Amino acid sequence: MEESRTQKGRRAFLKAGGFVAASGVIGSVFTFVAKVGAKGNARRRALWIKTVDHPTLGERTVDYKRFSGNDMFALYPQLKKQREGEGSLEAEQASSAKRLAGWIGERKPGYSLPDYQLSAGAWTLMHSTKPGTGLLSWTRVSISTPAELETHTYTASPEEMASRVKTAARLYGAGLVGIAPMNEAYVNCQAPQRDPQSQKDRQPIDIVFEDVDVPVVTETRHVIPKKMKWVVAIAIPMDIDLLSRAPTSLGDAATALGYSHSAFVVSSLAEFIRGLGYQAIPSVNDTAQSIPFAIDAGIGELSRLNKLVTPNYGPAVRLCKVFTDLPMAYDKPIDFGLVEFCKKCKKCAEACPSRALSFDDAPSFKTRGPWNNPGHKAWFEDSYKCFEYWQKVNSGCGVCLASCPYTKGAQAWIHEAVKATASIAPASDGVFRAMDNAFGYGKQHDPGKWWTNDPPSAGRE
Amino acid sequence: MTMMNEAGTFTITMRKRPWWQWVLATVWFLLEVLLLQTALASMKEEEYRAATICWIAVVVLAIAGALVCLRQGRSRRPDESSRPH
Repeated sequence: MEESRTQKGRRAFLKAGGFVAASGVIGSVFTFVAKVGAKGNARRRALWIKTVDHPTLGERTVDYKRFSGNDMFALYPQLKKQREGEGSLEAEQASSAKRLAGWIGERKPGYSLPDYQLSAGAWTLMHSTKPGTGLLSWTRVSISTPAELETHTYTASPEEMASRVKTAARLYGAGLVGIAPMNEAYVNCQAPQRDPQSQKDRQPIDIVFEDVDVPVVTETRHVIPKKMKWVVAIAIPMDIDLLSRAPTSLGDAATALGYSHSAFVVSSLAEFIRGLGYQAIPSVNDTAQSIPFAIDAGIGELSRLNKLVTPNYGPAVRLCKVFTDLPMAYDKPIDFGLVEFCKKCKKCAEACPSRALSFDDAPSFKTRGPWNNPGHKAWFEDSYKCFEYWQKVNSGCGVCLASCPYTKGAQAWIHEAVKATASIAPASDGVFRAMDNAFGYGKQHDPGKWWTNDPPSAGRE
Repeated sequence: MTMMNEAGTFTITMRKRPWWQWVLATVWFLLEVLLLQTALASMKEEEYRAATICWIAVVVLAIAGALVCLRQGRSRRPDESSRPH
Protein backbone atom coordinates (compact mmCIF):
# COMPACT_ATOMS: atom_id res chain seq x y z
CA MET A 1 0.00 0.00 0.00
CA GLU A 2 2.74 2.37 1.14
CA GLU A 3 4.89 1.37 -1.84
CA SER A 4 2.07 1.95 -4.29
CA ARG A 5 1.50 5.42 -2.80
CA THR A 6 5.22 6.21 -3.20
CA GLN A 7 5.11 4.99 -6.80
CA LYS A 8 2.06 7.13 -7.47
CA GLY A 9 3.79 10.16 -5.91
CA ARG A 10 6.88 9.58 -8.00
CA ARG A 11 4.81 9.15 -11.13
CA ALA A 12 2.91 12.39 -10.40
CA PHE A 13 6.19 14.19 -9.76
CA LEU A 14 7.67 12.91 -13.03
CA LYS A 15 4.47 13.82 -14.87
CA ALA A 16 4.55 17.38 -13.45
CA GLY A 17 8.24 17.70 -14.28
CA GLY A 18 7.63 16.43 -17.79
CA PHE A 19 4.69 18.80 -18.23
CA VAL A 20 6.73 21.81 -17.09
CA ALA A 21 9.71 20.86 -19.28
CA ALA A 22 7.51 20.19 -22.30
CA SER A 23 5.58 23.46 -21.74
CA GLY A 24 8.83 25.39 -21.51
CA VAL A 25 10.26 23.92 -24.68
CA ILE A 26 7.02 23.99 -26.69
CA GLY A 27 6.26 27.51 -25.46
CA SER A 28 9.74 28.75 -26.31
CA VAL A 29 9.67 27.28 -29.79
CA PHE A 30 6.12 28.59 -30.32
CA THR A 31 7.09 32.04 -29.01
CA PHE A 32 10.13 32.12 -31.24
CA VAL A 33 8.05 31.18 -34.27
CA ALA A 34 5.29 33.62 -33.26
CA LYS A 35 7.76 36.44 -32.78
CA VAL A 36 9.45 35.97 -36.13
CA GLY A 37 6.51 37.67 -37.81
CA ALA A 38 6.45 40.46 -35.25
CA LYS A 39 10.14 41.30 -35.39
CA GLY A 40 10.96 44.70 -36.80
CA ASN A 41 7.33 45.72 -36.88
CA ALA A 42 6.06 46.98 -33.55
CA ARG A 43 2.51 47.17 -34.87
CA ARG A 44 2.23 43.44 -35.53
CA ARG A 45 1.19 41.30 -32.59
CA ALA A 46 2.65 37.95 -31.59
CA LEU A 47 0.57 35.04 -32.92
CA TRP A 48 -0.60 33.94 -29.46
CA ILE A 49 -2.53 37.22 -29.00
CA LYS A 50 -5.94 36.75 -30.64
CA THR A 51 -8.18 39.58 -31.78
CA VAL A 52 -11.86 39.31 -30.82
CA ASP A 53 -15.04 41.20 -31.66
CA HIS A 54 -15.91 42.10 -28.08
CA PRO A 55 -13.73 42.71 -24.99
CA THR A 56 -13.22 39.63 -22.82
CA LEU A 57 -14.45 41.48 -19.72
CA GLY A 58 -16.52 44.60 -19.25
CA GLU A 59 -20.03 43.46 -20.16
CA ARG A 60 -22.28 46.51 -19.67
CA THR A 61 -25.83 47.20 -18.52
CA VAL A 62 -28.08 50.23 -19.05
CA ASP A 63 -26.70 51.65 -15.79
CA TYR A 64 -23.39 52.36 -17.47
CA LYS A 65 -23.16 56.13 -17.78
CA ARG A 66 -20.53 58.79 -18.11
CA PHE A 67 -18.34 58.92 -14.99
CA SER A 68 -18.61 61.94 -12.70
CA GLY A 69 -14.90 62.62 -13.13
CA ASN A 70 -14.34 62.69 -9.39
CA ASP A 71 -11.56 60.17 -8.91
CA MET A 72 -9.96 59.21 -5.61
CA PHE A 73 -7.84 62.38 -5.49
CA ALA A 74 -11.04 64.42 -5.47
CA LEU A 75 -13.08 62.04 -3.29
CA TYR A 76 -10.62 61.10 -0.56
CA PRO A 77 -10.74 64.30 1.55
CA GLN A 78 -14.54 64.25 1.84
CA LEU A 79 -14.70 60.47 2.41
CA LYS A 80 -12.03 60.71 5.10
CA LYS A 81 -14.02 63.39 6.92
CA GLN A 82 -17.25 61.38 6.56
CA ARG A 83 -15.69 58.18 7.89
CA GLU A 84 -13.34 59.47 10.56
CA GLY A 85 -14.64 62.91 11.44
CA GLU A 86 -13.51 66.52 11.10
CA GLY A 87 -9.79 67.07 11.45
CA SER A 88 -8.91 63.46 10.55
CA LEU A 89 -7.53 64.45 7.15
CA GLU A 90 -5.35 67.21 8.59
CA ALA A 91 -4.10 64.89 11.35
CA GLU A 92 -3.25 62.23 8.78
CA GLN A 93 -1.40 64.76 6.60
CA ALA A 94 0.58 66.06 9.59
CA SER A 95 1.63 62.59 10.77
CA SER A 96 2.47 61.61 7.19
CA ALA A 97 4.73 64.64 6.76
CA LYS A 98 6.44 63.95 10.08
CA ARG A 99 7.01 60.31 9.18
CA LEU A 100 8.45 61.25 5.80
CA ALA A 101 10.84 63.78 7.38
CA GLY A 102 12.02 61.05 9.76
CA TRP A 103 12.62 58.54 6.96
CA ILE A 104 14.50 61.10 4.87
CA GLY A 105 16.57 62.08 7.92
CA GLU A 106 17.53 58.51 8.77
CA ARG A 107 18.17 57.73 5.07
CA LYS A 108 15.73 54.83 5.04
CA PRO A 109 16.34 52.79 1.86
CA GLY A 110 13.83 53.91 -0.75
CA TYR A 111 13.15 57.16 1.14
CA SER A 112 16.55 58.87 1.34
CA LEU A 113 16.67 62.40 -0.01
CA PRO A 114 18.04 61.25 -3.41
CA ASP A 115 15.29 58.59 -3.61
CA TYR A 116 12.57 61.10 -2.77
CA GLN A 117 13.87 63.76 -5.11
CA LEU A 118 14.36 61.24 -7.92
CA SER A 119 10.61 60.73 -7.87
CA ALA A 120 9.88 64.45 -7.46
CA GLY A 121 12.11 65.23 -10.43
CA ALA A 122 10.36 62.62 -12.56
CA TRP A 123 6.97 64.23 -11.80
CA THR A 124 8.11 67.65 -13.13
CA LEU A 125 6.67 67.41 -16.62
CA MET A 126 3.38 65.85 -15.52
CA HIS A 127 2.90 68.35 -12.70
CA SER A 128 3.42 71.26 -15.08
CA THR A 129 0.49 70.17 -17.26
CA LYS A 130 -3.11 71.27 -17.00
CA PRO A 131 -5.83 69.85 -19.26
CA GLY A 132 -6.74 72.28 -22.00
CA THR A 133 -3.69 74.51 -21.68
CA GLY A 134 0.07 74.43 -22.29
CA LEU A 135 1.37 70.99 -23.22
CA LEU A 136 -2.12 69.52 -23.03
CA SER A 137 -3.65 72.34 -25.07
CA TRP A 138 -6.75 71.31 -27.03
CA THR A 139 -5.67 73.51 -29.94
CA ARG A 140 -2.43 74.10 -31.85
CA VAL A 141 0.60 75.00 -29.71
CA SER A 142 3.30 75.91 -32.21
CA ILE A 143 3.25 73.56 -35.20
CA SER A 144 2.75 74.99 -38.73
CA THR A 145 -0.58 74.09 -40.35
CA PRO A 146 -0.59 72.68 -43.90
CA ALA A 147 -2.05 76.03 -45.07
CA GLU A 148 0.92 77.89 -43.58
CA LEU A 149 3.20 75.52 -45.48
CA GLU A 150 1.18 76.31 -48.62
CA THR A 151 -0.12 72.78 -48.99
CA HIS A 152 -3.31 70.82 -48.34
CA THR A 153 -4.51 68.65 -45.49
CA TYR A 154 -2.77 65.28 -45.72
CA THR A 155 -5.07 62.50 -46.93
CA ALA A 156 -4.55 58.76 -47.27
CA SER A 157 -6.44 55.51 -46.70
CA PRO A 158 -7.59 54.89 -43.09
CA GLU A 159 -5.09 52.00 -42.87
CA GLU A 160 -2.17 54.18 -43.94
CA MET A 161 -3.22 56.98 -41.60
CA ALA A 162 -3.42 54.52 -38.68
CA SER A 163 0.00 53.16 -39.57
CA ARG A 164 1.59 56.63 -39.72
CA VAL A 165 0.04 57.75 -36.45
CA LYS A 166 1.14 54.56 -34.70
CA THR A 167 4.68 54.91 -36.02
CA ALA A 168 4.84 58.54 -34.87
CA ALA A 169 3.51 57.57 -31.44
CA ARG A 170 6.14 54.83 -31.13
CA LEU A 171 8.85 57.33 -32.02
CA TYR A 172 7.65 59.74 -29.34
CA GLY A 173 7.84 56.96 -26.73
CA ALA A 174 4.65 54.88 -26.82
CA GLY A 175 5.10 51.21 -25.95
CA LEU A 176 1.77 50.05 -27.39
CA VAL A 177 -0.62 51.98 -29.63
CA GLY A 178 -4.11 51.17 -30.89
CA ILE A 179 -6.98 52.98 -32.52
CA ALA A 180 -10.45 52.81 -30.94
CA PRO A 181 -13.74 54.40 -31.95
CA MET A 182 -14.85 57.36 -29.82
CA ASN A 183 -17.36 56.24 -27.20
CA GLU A 184 -18.98 59.18 -25.41
CA ALA A 185 -19.84 56.94 -22.44
CA TYR A 186 -16.13 56.71 -21.58
CA VAL A 187 -15.75 60.49 -21.42
CA ASN A 188 -16.21 62.05 -17.97
CA CYS A 189 -19.16 64.43 -17.40
CA GLN A 190 -16.95 66.92 -15.62
CA ALA A 191 -13.37 67.69 -14.78
CA PRO A 192 -12.68 66.78 -11.09
CA GLN A 193 -14.06 69.40 -8.70
CA ARG A 194 -10.81 69.30 -6.80
CA ASP A 195 -7.74 70.46 -8.71
CA PRO A 196 -5.29 67.52 -8.66
CA GLN A 197 -2.28 69.83 -8.53
CA SER A 198 -3.29 72.49 -6.02
CA GLN A 199 -5.68 70.14 -4.13
CA LYS A 200 -8.13 73.04 -3.85
CA ASP A 201 -11.81 72.88 -4.72
CA ARG A 202 -12.82 74.63 -7.91
CA GLN A 203 -16.01 75.34 -9.79
CA PRO A 204 -17.27 72.45 -11.96
CA ILE A 205 -16.04 72.27 -15.55
CA ASP A 206 -18.52 70.47 -17.81
CA ILE A 207 -17.19 68.26 -20.60
CA VAL A 208 -19.64 68.28 -23.52
CA PHE A 209 -19.87 67.12 -27.14
CA GLU A 210 -21.06 69.69 -29.70
CA ASP A 211 -21.13 70.21 -33.46
CA VAL A 212 -18.18 72.57 -33.55
CA ASP A 213 -15.12 72.67 -35.80
CA VAL A 214 -12.46 73.08 -33.15
CA PRO A 215 -12.26 72.08 -29.47
CA VAL A 216 -13.23 74.85 -27.05
CA VAL A 217 -11.81 75.33 -23.56
CA THR A 218 -13.37 77.89 -21.17
CA GLU A 219 -13.43 78.30 -17.38
CA THR A 220 -16.68 76.36 -17.13
CA ARG A 221 -16.87 74.17 -20.25
CA HIS A 222 -14.62 71.90 -22.28
CA VAL A 223 -16.20 71.22 -25.69
CA ILE A 224 -15.20 68.16 -27.72
CA PRO A 225 -16.23 68.37 -31.42
CA LYS A 226 -18.65 65.57 -32.36
CA LYS A 227 -16.60 64.93 -35.49
CA MET A 228 -13.80 63.51 -33.30
CA LYS A 229 -14.63 59.86 -33.84
CA TRP A 230 -11.19 58.35 -33.41
CA VAL A 231 -9.13 57.76 -30.28
CA VAL A 232 -5.44 56.89 -30.33
CA ALA A 233 -4.96 54.81 -27.17
CA ILE A 234 -1.40 54.60 -25.90
CA ALA A 235 0.39 52.56 -23.23
CA ILE A 236 3.66 53.88 -21.83
CA PRO A 237 5.77 51.14 -20.21
CA MET A 238 6.96 51.77 -16.67
CA ASP A 239 10.50 51.10 -15.47
CA ILE A 240 10.17 47.62 -13.94
CA ASP A 241 13.49 47.91 -12.12
CA LEU A 242 12.13 50.93 -10.21
CA LEU A 243 8.64 49.48 -9.84
CA SER A 244 10.05 46.36 -8.20
CA ARG A 245 11.20 48.60 -5.27
CA ALA A 246 7.57 49.63 -4.52
CA PRO A 247 6.14 50.80 -2.16
CA THR A 248 8.84 53.46 -1.78
CA SER A 249 9.77 56.77 -3.40
CA LEU A 250 11.78 54.72 -5.90
CA GLY A 251 8.66 52.77 -6.89
CA ASP A 252 6.81 56.07 -7.15
CA ALA A 253 9.50 57.33 -9.55
CA ALA A 254 8.41 54.62 -12.02
CA THR A 255 4.85 55.99 -11.91
CA ALA A 256 6.07 59.59 -12.15
CA LEU A 257 8.25 58.84 -15.13
CA GLY A 258 5.38 56.99 -16.83
CA TYR A 259 3.07 59.97 -16.44
CA SER A 260 5.65 62.51 -17.57
CA HIS A 261 6.41 60.36 -20.63
CA SER A 262 2.65 60.18 -21.27
CA ALA A 263 2.35 63.97 -21.25
CA PHE A 264 5.25 64.26 -23.67
CA VAL A 265 3.91 61.55 -26.02
CA VAL A 266 0.30 62.78 -26.24
CA SER A 267 1.29 66.45 -26.63
CA SER A 268 3.80 65.59 -29.39
CA LEU A 269 1.33 63.29 -31.16
CA ALA A 270 -1.48 65.87 -30.97
CA GLU A 271 0.80 68.46 -32.56
CA PHE A 272 1.81 65.95 -35.28
CA ILE A 273 -1.86 65.31 -36.11
CA ARG A 274 -2.62 69.05 -36.15
CA GLY A 275 0.35 69.48 -38.48
CA LEU A 276 -1.35 67.10 -40.95
CA GLY A 277 -4.40 69.37 -40.95
CA TYR A 278 -6.71 67.76 -38.34
CA GLN A 279 -7.89 68.49 -34.81
CA ALA A 280 -6.47 66.64 -31.80
CA ILE A 281 -7.05 66.63 -28.03
CA PRO A 282 -4.24 65.16 -25.90
CA SER A 283 -5.26 63.59 -22.59
CA VAL A 284 -3.42 61.74 -19.83
CA ASN A 285 -5.67 60.83 -16.85
CA ASP A 286 -7.99 63.76 -17.40
CA THR A 287 -11.18 64.14 -19.47
CA ALA A 288 -11.95 60.44 -20.07
CA GLN A 289 -11.36 56.91 -18.81
CA SER A 290 -8.24 55.58 -20.50
CA ILE A 291 -8.81 51.89 -19.70
CA PRO A 292 -11.96 51.19 -21.79
CA PHE A 293 -10.46 53.01 -24.78
CA ALA A 294 -7.26 50.96 -24.42
CA ILE A 295 -9.31 47.74 -24.25
CA ASP A 296 -11.30 48.64 -27.37
CA ALA A 297 -8.04 49.54 -29.13
CA GLY A 298 -6.61 46.07 -28.45
CA ILE A 299 -3.84 47.14 -26.10
CA GLY A 300 -4.78 44.76 -23.28
CA GLU A 301 -7.53 43.18 -21.20
CA LEU A 302 -9.28 44.20 -17.98
CA SER A 303 -7.84 42.31 -15.01
CA ARG A 304 -8.47 41.50 -11.34
CA LEU A 305 -6.70 44.79 -10.54
CA ASN A 306 -9.58 46.55 -12.34
CA LYS A 307 -6.77 47.94 -14.46
CA LEU A 308 -5.46 47.12 -17.88
CA VAL A 309 -2.98 44.27 -18.26
CA THR A 310 -1.06 44.17 -21.51
CA PRO A 311 0.49 41.01 -22.96
CA ASN A 312 3.84 42.77 -23.36
CA TYR A 313 4.32 44.75 -20.13
CA GLY A 314 1.63 43.35 -17.82
CA PRO A 315 -0.08 46.08 -15.80
CA ALA A 316 3.18 48.08 -15.59
CA VAL A 317 2.00 50.76 -18.00
CA ARG A 318 0.55 54.25 -17.83
CA LEU A 319 -2.26 54.99 -20.22
CA CYS A 320 -3.01 58.12 -22.21
CA LYS A 321 -4.93 58.97 -25.37
CA VAL A 322 -5.47 61.48 -28.16
CA PHE A 323 -8.95 62.26 -29.55
CA THR A 324 -8.97 63.26 -33.19
CA ASP A 325 -11.03 63.77 -36.34
CA LEU A 326 -8.30 62.16 -38.46
CA PRO A 327 -9.95 59.10 -40.10
CA MET A 328 -8.07 55.90 -39.24
CA ALA A 329 -8.71 52.15 -39.35
CA TYR A 330 -9.91 50.88 -35.97
CA ASP A 331 -8.22 48.05 -34.08
CA LYS A 332 -10.09 45.21 -32.36
CA PRO A 333 -9.99 44.09 -28.72
CA ILE A 334 -7.62 41.25 -27.87
CA ASP A 335 -7.74 38.00 -25.91
CA PHE A 336 -4.57 36.45 -24.53
CA GLY A 337 -6.22 34.35 -21.84
CA LEU A 338 -5.92 36.95 -19.08
CA VAL A 339 -9.41 36.77 -17.58
CA GLU A 340 -9.14 32.99 -17.09
CA PHE A 341 -5.67 33.46 -15.59
CA CYS A 342 -6.92 36.19 -13.19
CA LYS A 343 -9.74 33.93 -11.98
CA LYS A 344 -7.21 31.40 -10.71
CA CYS A 345 -4.24 33.61 -9.82
CA LYS A 346 -5.27 36.20 -7.18
CA LYS A 347 -1.60 36.99 -6.55
CA CYS A 348 -2.19 40.78 -6.73
CA ALA A 349 -5.02 40.55 -4.17
CA GLU A 350 -2.79 38.56 -1.82
CA ALA A 351 0.13 40.98 -2.29
CA CYS A 352 -1.95 44.17 -1.80
CA PRO A 353 -0.84 45.60 1.57
CA SER A 354 -4.17 47.39 2.10
CA ARG A 355 -6.38 44.43 1.06
CA ALA A 356 -8.07 46.69 -1.47
CA LEU A 357 -8.36 44.17 -4.29
CA SER A 358 -11.12 41.65 -4.85
CA PHE A 359 -10.70 37.96 -3.94
CA ASP A 360 -13.93 37.02 -5.76
CA ASP A 361 -13.60 34.04 -8.07
CA ALA A 362 -15.44 35.77 -10.89
CA PRO A 363 -16.01 39.42 -11.85
CA SER A 364 -19.38 40.97 -10.99
CA PHE A 365 -21.41 44.17 -11.27
CA LYS A 366 -20.98 44.93 -7.53
CA THR A 367 -19.12 48.22 -7.04
CA ARG A 368 -17.20 49.14 -3.89
CA GLY A 369 -17.73 52.91 -3.68
CA PRO A 370 -18.31 56.18 -5.55
CA TRP A 371 -14.88 55.91 -7.20
CA ASN A 372 -16.19 52.97 -9.29
CA ASN A 373 -18.34 53.62 -12.33
CA PRO A 374 -21.31 51.20 -12.08
CA GLY A 375 -22.96 49.28 -14.90
CA HIS A 376 -20.09 47.14 -16.07
CA LYS A 377 -18.66 43.81 -15.01
CA ALA A 378 -15.29 43.90 -13.27
CA TRP A 379 -13.33 42.95 -10.18
CA PHE A 380 -13.97 46.25 -8.38
CA GLU A 381 -11.38 47.56 -5.93
CA ASP A 382 -11.62 49.52 -2.69
CA SER A 383 -9.77 52.66 -3.75
CA TYR A 384 -10.29 54.26 -0.33
CA LYS A 385 -8.17 51.58 1.37
CA CYS A 386 -5.60 51.86 -1.40
CA PHE A 387 -5.35 55.63 -1.16
CA GLU A 388 -5.20 55.51 2.64
CA TYR A 389 -2.20 53.19 2.37
CA TRP A 390 -0.51 55.74 0.09
CA GLN A 391 -0.64 58.21 2.98
CA LYS A 392 1.02 55.65 5.26
CA VAL A 393 3.90 54.99 2.88
CA ASN A 394 4.20 58.60 1.71
CA SER A 395 4.19 57.61 -1.93
CA GLY A 396 2.05 55.80 -4.46
CA CYS A 397 2.02 52.05 -3.88
CA GLY A 398 2.29 49.89 -7.02
CA VAL A 399 2.77 46.56 -5.20
CA CYS A 400 -0.13 45.05 -7.18
CA LEU A 401 1.50 46.07 -10.46
CA ALA A 402 4.87 44.64 -9.46
CA SER A 403 3.43 41.36 -8.14
CA CYS A 404 1.40 40.47 -11.26
CA PRO A 405 2.86 37.40 -13.00
CA TYR A 406 2.58 39.31 -16.30
CA THR A 407 4.97 42.02 -15.01
CA LYS A 408 8.35 40.70 -15.97
CA GLY A 409 11.62 42.12 -17.22
CA ALA A 410 12.38 41.76 -20.90
CA GLN A 411 15.57 39.77 -20.37
CA ALA A 412 14.47 36.15 -19.91
CA TRP A 413 12.90 34.34 -22.87
CA ILE A 414 10.97 32.05 -20.55
CA HIS A 415 8.54 34.83 -19.55
CA GLU A 416 7.35 35.23 -23.11
CA ALA A 417 7.06 31.45 -23.43
CA VAL A 418 4.97 31.21 -20.26
CA LYS A 419 2.61 33.97 -21.44
CA ALA A 420 2.24 32.27 -24.82
CA THR A 421 1.54 28.87 -23.25
CA ALA A 422 -0.98 30.35 -20.77
CA SER A 423 -2.73 31.99 -23.70
CA ILE A 424 -3.15 28.81 -25.72
CA ALA A 425 -3.51 26.35 -22.83
CA PRO A 426 -5.47 27.84 -19.89
CA ALA A 427 -5.17 24.47 -18.10
CA SER A 428 -1.56 25.47 -17.36
CA ASP A 429 -2.57 28.66 -15.48
CA GLY A 430 -2.47 27.05 -12.04
CA VAL A 431 0.97 25.51 -12.65
CA PHE A 432 2.39 28.83 -13.83
CA ARG A 433 0.91 30.68 -10.86
CA ALA A 434 2.51 28.15 -8.48
CA MET A 435 5.83 28.40 -10.33
CA ASP A 436 5.74 32.21 -10.18
CA ASN A 437 5.61 31.95 -6.41
CA ALA A 438 8.16 29.16 -6.19
CA PHE A 439 10.62 31.20 -8.25
CA GLY A 440 10.19 34.14 -5.88
CA TYR A 441 8.78 36.57 -8.43
CA GLY A 442 6.82 39.62 -7.32
CA LYS A 443 8.73 40.24 -4.10
CA GLN A 444 10.14 43.68 -3.34
CA HIS A 445 13.69 44.20 -4.61
CA ASP A 446 16.20 45.84 -2.29
CA PRO A 447 15.61 49.62 -2.56
CA GLY A 448 19.16 50.25 -1.31
CA LYS A 449 20.67 48.59 -4.37
CA TRP A 450 19.01 50.66 -7.10
CA TRP A 451 21.61 53.42 -7.23
CA THR A 452 24.40 50.93 -7.92
CA ASN A 453 22.60 49.68 -11.05
CA ASP A 454 23.12 51.12 -14.49
CA PRO A 455 19.55 52.08 -15.43
CA PRO A 456 18.46 51.90 -19.06
CA SER A 457 18.05 55.25 -20.81
CA ALA A 458 14.80 56.91 -19.66
CA GLY A 459 13.93 53.73 -17.77
CA ARG A 460 13.23 51.82 -20.97
CA GLU A 461 14.81 48.47 -21.83
CA MET B 1 32.86 3.35 -32.76
CA THR B 2 36.38 2.36 -33.83
CA MET B 3 38.18 -0.66 -32.30
CA MET B 4 41.49 -2.39 -33.07
CA ASN B 5 41.55 -6.20 -32.94
CA GLU B 6 44.49 -8.58 -32.16
CA ALA B 7 45.52 -8.77 -35.80
CA GLY B 8 46.08 -5.05 -35.81
CA THR B 9 43.17 -4.21 -38.11
CA PHE B 10 40.41 -1.73 -37.35
CA THR B 11 36.71 -2.47 -37.15
CA ILE B 12 34.42 0.50 -37.52
CA THR B 13 30.95 -0.12 -36.11
CA MET B 14 28.25 2.41 -37.00
CA ARG B 15 24.91 2.22 -35.26
CA LYS B 16 21.89 4.24 -36.20
CA ARG B 17 20.23 5.92 -33.24
CA PRO B 18 16.46 5.47 -33.10
CA TRP B 19 14.47 8.63 -33.98
CA TRP B 20 13.14 9.14 -30.48
CA GLN B 21 16.67 9.48 -29.14
CA TRP B 22 17.27 12.41 -31.47
CA VAL B 23 14.02 14.01 -30.34
CA LEU B 24 14.97 13.55 -26.69
CA ALA B 25 18.44 14.94 -27.32
CA THR B 26 16.97 18.00 -29.06
CA VAL B 27 14.51 18.61 -26.22
CA TRP B 28 17.35 18.19 -23.72
CA PHE B 29 19.52 20.69 -25.61
CA LEU B 30 16.74 23.28 -25.99
CA LEU B 31 15.85 22.96 -22.32
CA GLU B 32 19.49 23.47 -21.34
CA VAL B 33 19.72 26.61 -23.49
CA LEU B 34 16.42 27.95 -22.13
CA LEU B 35 17.38 27.31 -18.51
CA LEU B 36 20.84 28.79 -18.96
CA GLN B 37 19.42 31.92 -20.58
CA THR B 38 16.82 32.23 -17.81
CA ALA B 39 19.47 31.80 -15.12
CA LEU B 40 21.65 34.54 -16.59
CA ALA B 41 18.71 36.88 -17.28
CA SER B 42 17.24 36.34 -13.81
CA MET B 43 20.52 37.46 -12.26
CA LYS B 44 20.34 40.65 -14.34
CA GLU B 45 16.73 41.14 -13.27
CA GLU B 46 17.73 40.68 -9.61
CA GLU B 47 15.48 37.62 -9.34
CA TYR B 48 18.03 35.66 -7.35
CA ARG B 49 15.77 32.82 -6.26
CA ALA B 50 14.72 32.18 -9.85
CA ALA B 51 18.36 32.35 -10.91
CA THR B 52 19.43 29.83 -8.23
CA ILE B 53 16.67 27.37 -9.21
CA CYS B 54 17.62 27.69 -12.88
CA TRP B 55 21.34 27.20 -12.19
CA ILE B 56 20.58 24.05 -10.18
CA ALA B 57 18.35 22.80 -13.00
CA VAL B 58 21.08 23.51 -15.59
CA VAL B 59 23.67 21.55 -13.61
CA VAL B 60 21.35 18.63 -12.78
CA LEU B 61 20.18 18.38 -16.38
CA ALA B 62 23.76 18.57 -17.68
CA ILE B 63 24.87 15.77 -15.31
CA ALA B 64 21.82 13.68 -16.23
CA GLY B 65 22.55 14.17 -19.92
CA ALA B 66 26.20 13.23 -19.45
CA LEU B 67 25.26 10.09 -17.48
CA VAL B 68 22.75 8.97 -20.11
CA CYS B 69 25.34 9.52 -22.83
CA LEU B 70 27.96 7.54 -20.92
CA ARG B 71 25.56 4.67 -20.22
CA GLN B 72 24.51 4.44 -23.83
CA GLY B 73 28.13 4.46 -24.97
CA ARG B 74 28.95 1.56 -22.65
CA SER B 75 25.91 -0.52 -23.57
CA ARG B 76 26.71 -0.10 -27.25
CA ARG B 77 30.34 -1.32 -26.99
CA PRO B 78 30.52 -4.74 -28.76
CA ASP B 79 31.54 -7.68 -26.55
CA GLU B 80 34.51 -9.99 -27.16
CA SER B 81 32.49 -12.81 -28.80
CA SER B 82 31.16 -10.54 -31.49
CA ARG B 83 34.63 -9.38 -32.53
CA PRO B 84 35.92 -10.73 -35.83
CA HIS B 85 38.92 -13.12 -35.69
